[in-house]
Amino acid sequence: MQTETDATQANPFGYPPPVWQRFNAPARAGRFAMDTPGVVTGSAGSPAAHSRLQLQLRVADGRVADARFLAYGCPTSIAVGAWLAEWALGKTPAELRGLSLSELRATLEIADDRAHCAVMGEDAVRALLAQYEDAQP
Amino acid sequence: MIYLDYAATTPLDARVFDAMLPYLRPDGVFANPASTHGPGFKARAAVERARAQVAALIGAEPGEIVWTSGATESNNLAIKGALEFRGAGATGRALHVVTSRTEHKCVLDTCRHLEAQGCNGQPVRVTYLKPNADGVVTPEDVLAALTPETLLVSLMWVNNEIGVVQDIARLAQLLRSRGVLLHVDAAQAAGKLAIDLANTPIDLLSLSAHKTYGPKGIGALFVRRRPRARLQPQMHGGGHEQGMRSGTLATHQIVGMGAAFEVAAQRRASDEQHLTALRELLWSRLQALPRILRNGNASLMAPHLLNVSFEGVEGESLRAALPELAVSSGSACSSATAEPSYVLRALGRDDELANASLRFSFGRTTTVADIETAAAAVIRQVQWLRELSPLWTA
Repeated sequence: MQTETDATQANPFGYPPPVWQRFNAPARAGRFAMDTPGVVTGSAGSPAAHSRLQLQLRVADGRVADARFLAYGCPTSIAVGAWLAEWALGKTPAELRGLSLSELRATLEIADDRAHCAVMGEDAVRALLAQYEDAQP
Repeated sequence: MIYLDYAATTPLDARVFDAMLPYLRPDGVFANPASTHGPGFKARAAVERARAQVAALIGAEPGEIVWTSGATESNNLAIKGALEFRGAGATGRALHVVTSRTEHKCVLDTCRHLEAQGCNGQPVRVTYLKPNADGVVTPEDVLAALTPETLLVSLMWVNNEIGVVQDIARLAQLLRSRGVLLHVDAAQAAGKLAIDLANTPIDLLSLSAHKTYGPKGIGALFVRRRPRARLQPQMHGGGHEQGMRSGTLATHQIVGMGAAFEVAAQRRASDEQHLTALRELLWSRLQALPRILRNGNASLMAPHLLNVSFEGVEGESLRAALPELAVSSGSACSSATAEPSYVLRALGRDDELANASLRFSFGRTTTVADIETAAAAVIRQVQWLRELSPLWTA
């Protein structure tokens, strides 16, 4: 049965608008081809929260030239991945280290009961930076 | 928006709406059906006509229909009322009830309440039968659980989450010969399955109007007269409904339920054909997706319901990715906690898969085009979420 489209249909579940927008149109979703040079990968997540986030950054000349993410989890987790991939662009590894959890939460309007999604994002960035440092000569 | 949640509730049938209006209008038939004057008699006649309409759909006598506020109240009245009546003056040993883990919450919570509180000063013990992986509780499973103290078996005819139909007709015969009372929650069965209580020895049967194109807030309990199923009332007052359920009758709601059940009786065969075709069309379309599971035994299904688990997607995102579909999910979800369906868990699905499940339920006004649109959306979005997942391997 077709019913009238109502105003809440766009976001009937009441997600924060920045989460809903990224969930519906996540830029940079995917992974780099296996042989892409300069790619570092960081993953985080927990089976308990049924979530996993993978962030990939292609670093060229000391800065992030491109980014990809994959996420399994709730819409907030997916939005966190999308936001990190946007945010990382153009940054140096030192600047990535300065990721602020409160900035991430404020930008995506993540409430306390979803704070673990933001923490997963931070964990993925840390894992990525650890891999980047290990790979340095 | 495509509404595929008819197992949650249905819209009013237009004929039901028209039938109710004269009893709602300020200048309409508003008198109390218990009043002994002309307008009261007129309201009473409408109530009794509706009682006959409801009875006719299920092969009962009008005098066996007790009005309630809905299936939740009917289930409470049946289980508590039967136990309180039958348990009076018993031996002091625990009164025993047999039910299943996949009953509606209102049956399970009523049973848990009785276990916690006891009944007439006696303890109550409840056996919660585990269905098999198909969602089926066989009559043999029930018989094996009976003890000399078993007073009541409560089993739903059609499961509200997965649509599995239990073999109630055979169970009823087996219990009758053993003298154990049988209560059946038929909220999802009425109007969907052929029910003939004249030839099926069920003692108590719960009904709801709003699952069958009637109004919300009205239901009924069938209470067999021969042999008489006796109940202690749970609502005390003016002694309405043969003393079993006091409270002024809601004439307009009752008229609506009667009209809805009359329409259901006229349309049952064609509804069944229509709904079964839609269900199988959706299931066949969804075969485009690998690694999906149909919940419940496909050969023992009510026509209006299809429950599917999708591997490799997270449940909340699956729901959120389908905002244009009104469907129920595999979890009793609130924003903070998503509790996986206990019905799907009882079938052996793990938490993650139970959460990644959708219940599609169809109605008279659902079209083939609705199903095609819904199937395309589900396929597209499940594929997208799987592609987005770092854990998915095709």
